[in-house]
Amino acid sequence: MLSYTFRSSLSRRSIAPTISLRTYASQTPGNPMLEVFNRKTKHLQKDRAARNVEGSRKVDYLKDEVAMRLCERLLVSNAPKGRVALARARKADIKRNFPHVLDLGANSCNIAKALTTPNPDITTPEGAVSPPLADKISKLTCVETSRALLHRDEELPFNNEIEIQRDIIPDLETLPYEPNSFDAVLSSLSIHWINDLPALLEQVNTILKPDAPFIAAMFGGDTLYELRGSLQLADMERRGGVSPHVSPLADVKDVGSLLNRAGFKMLTVDVEDIVVEFPDTFALMQDLQAMGESNAIMNRDSAPLSRDVLLANEAIYRNLHMEDGAPGIPATFRLIYMIGWKEGKNQAQPLQRGSGDVNLKEILGGGEFDRP
Amino acid sequence: MPARTRPVEKIAKASAQCSAEVAAYGKCVVTDYNSVHKDMCAKEFIRLKNCYLAASKKG
Repeated sequence: MLSYTFRSSLSRRSIAPTISLRTYASQTPGNPMLEVFNRKTKHLQKDRAARNVEGSRKVDYLKDEVAMRLCERLLVSNAPKGRVALARARKADIKRNFPHVLDLGANSCNIAKALTTPNPDITTPEGAVSPPLADKISKLTCVETSRALLHRDEELPFNNEIEIQRDIIPDLETLPYEPNSFDAVLSSLSIHWINDLPALLEQVNTILKPDAPFIAAMFGGDTLYELRGSLQLADMERRGGVSPHVSPLADVKDVGSLLNRAGFKMLTVDVEDIVVEFPDTFALMQDLQAMGESNAIMNRDSAPLSRDVLLANEAIYRNLHMEDGAPGIPATFRLIYMIGWKEGKNQAQPLQRGSGDVNLKEILGGGEFDRP
Repeated sequence: MPARTRPVEKIAKASAQCSAEVAAYGKCVVTDYNSVHKDMCAKEFIRLKNCYLAASKKG
């Protein structure tokens, strides 16, 4: 009996036509995209901010300062690379010219403004103030998503000192340029709003000519940590939960590997904190809004912060971060500067690890630490 | 025509007149900021809000 059923079931199974219902796990074509920021919201914020021309110019202090610092890096990275080269660059011994440069996410062309400003900090060996960097650039293409922001400063005098082409594209994450078309790509305070940073960096690497640099500055990790923390506490105490009011940012330690993954060589990444003092948290938030830098995270609370949370936030921020006797509250902006070079023929290579034969102590000076 | 005062400016102006209450509420939350829960400092907040409302009526 037992053997019979066994055999019959076996035979039935082997005769039955096998209809394949098996499905395979499949991936949708292309890279899966993680959307962190709402691009439409960001676009609206930038547009709205720039339409108030005066208000928007007033809060350009941060973007102008960062653009200046970024352009200084262009000067240094300009020279032949290496340890000695850095010293040579400082002596303004610069030969390289950049016929065509892209400003990625130009805001209101702050980089163009910085390039045309003579920098009194950098002097030639003869002691004269070095000419503005714009002399070394024949054409600057500024690309931005917001028309109002990009064309805001079109009438200002700096536009006559450098040839600027203004391009408006629907989306900064897909660049409409031919491969090998730029001698440098600069970007100041824009790419922290990019959803897919690895893909963008790969595109940048493609549109660069061989042995051309990508120099960028973006807000990173600890930017506005004071506001982030105190808003969380205020939310907790007033509403009993937390919702994100400050957008997430990339961390310094990830930037190196991001550049590496996109194929850049000879990387330099460094960090700088700019601390700005504001009279109160309301002024800070108003300025952020006028810069077009307010929160644009997906699924954010569409209602504005309630008055209760704003009041609570003001009290907590002051208590946590204001120093005794200080007139205002500090807000930290952490800037990540990155430089990467597209691979090229005859490009200088970094030396092998451990092959150094000069003691840095002899060059830089400095002594032993005093042991307690 | 003078520029329209934005709501946030009004809040800023009124809350600036309540520095004692602001300090008291801030201190209450911050003393135990690892375990903040809803209405932990409700008493202090009501005081702050009352002062704020009075100040914004005056201004």
